[in-house]
Amino acid sequence: MNQPRILIFACKWCGFIGADAAGKKRISLPSRFRVIPMECASLVETDAILRALAGGIDGIAVLGCHIGGCRYNNANHTAIKRLELLQDLLDTTGIGSSRLLLSFGTAHEDYQFEEIIKNFFDELTLLPPLDPWL
Amino acid sequence: MLEKTKNIARQILEEKKASAVFGLMRNEWNIIQPHLFEDPAGLANLVLEPKWLLAKLAMRILRSSPENYKLAVICRGCDERALIELIKRNQIEKENLLTIGIACSQEQAAICLCDRPYPEKLDAGEKVSGVDPFQDERVRKFLIGNDKERMKRWADMLKRCIKCYGCRNSCPICICEPCKLEDDVWVQRGVVPAETITFHLIRAFHLSDTCVACGACQEACPVNIPLLYLQLGMRKTLREKYGYEAGLDPETKSPVLSSAFEKPDTDREFPDWINSLREEDES
Repeated sequence: MNQPRILIFACKWCGFIGADAAGKKRISLPSRFRVIPMECASLVETDAILRALAGGIDGIAVLGCHIGGCRYNNANHTAIKRLELLQDLLDTTGIGSSRLLLSFGTAHEDYQFEEIIKNFFDELTLLPPLDPWL
Repeated sequence: MLEKTKNIARQILEEKKASAVFGLMRNEWNIIQPHLFEDPAGLANLVLEPKWLLAKLAMRILRSSPENYKLAVICRGCDERALIELIKRNQIEKENLLTIGIACSQEQAAICLCDRPYPEKLDAGEKVSGVDPFQDERVRKFLIGNDKERMKRWADMLKRCIKCYGCRNSCPICICEPCKLEDDVWVQRGVVPAETITFHLIRAFHLSDTCVACGACQEACPVNIPLLYLQLGMRKTLREKYGYEAGLDPETKSPVLSSAFEKPDTDREFPDWINSLREEDES
């Protein structure tokens, strides 16, 4: 079976620093993922997530700052609320909320980043493919 | 109920509280159509059935009329909620709108899967209790099963789409100009059936916290896709987590727009150190 493909939207203040540090430390990671640095997790458009799913991406991770640690007036709170609503929609339609990983505050450090990504890969491998939709 | 509505409408027109009353009329060919009653004598032809969503039409009338044109709309529960959502979105001036609220019958509520078949400002008719959509047989049959079964069911259903944009055009709250569903970046153009994930889920998610569950999308759909079922889960979450329901009050903003401190979830816990951080911020 093909390895799943992951798209990661990472807040450039927390998640992206963690991802960067994981690369610098040469931590071995699954290869089929891309990280897109964002100014803030709240700028991740839900439409972009849906577009990525339609484009054949198996899982999307949104990494943001700690709750309460946002640089932009708690903007990450609105991101969580919105993305959790999107998870509901994904659950209703059977795509499954586990395809959208939200991690706020745990992606600060490289080893945590490694753990999140590895677990996410393992989880996605078990999910049924999105074929019926495409 | 009809007589009472007529009386209220007549009163509004005679006292010149509004320039016109917007409702349904039975015309000379016995066909029912939306109509602007400007003359009290014309109110004899006013009817209340069938259910006809007037919110979008009312918005267009108000937008294209002069500034102090006041409109009274005869509306059901869903219509009123839609109008309130439009006020929130600055599409209608609150001062220019009067509503005459009428309650729906129990049968109508069961058809629409409506959990609130009456307007907040009820003028005529009796309040009937709503239906819990998740208890309904049709919804249950559609939403049961594991992810794989549900995905198959939805994908098969949405592949019937002929991309007529009826769901978008009939929705009282879909007002964006330009619309993302017409943009090649998001949804490929010129493809039928529409791309399932992007077209349908983008549309459904844009209405996540605004959907008033009027069911207009579903009624407009020529291939009978149960589009309302997409919204039910999100509406339930908003109600359970934040106690929010779209269209009840023009002042209450959607919880999605506020931070988790202003409008906390019922089940989200904050780590201890957040409090210390906030006190520092305030000082």
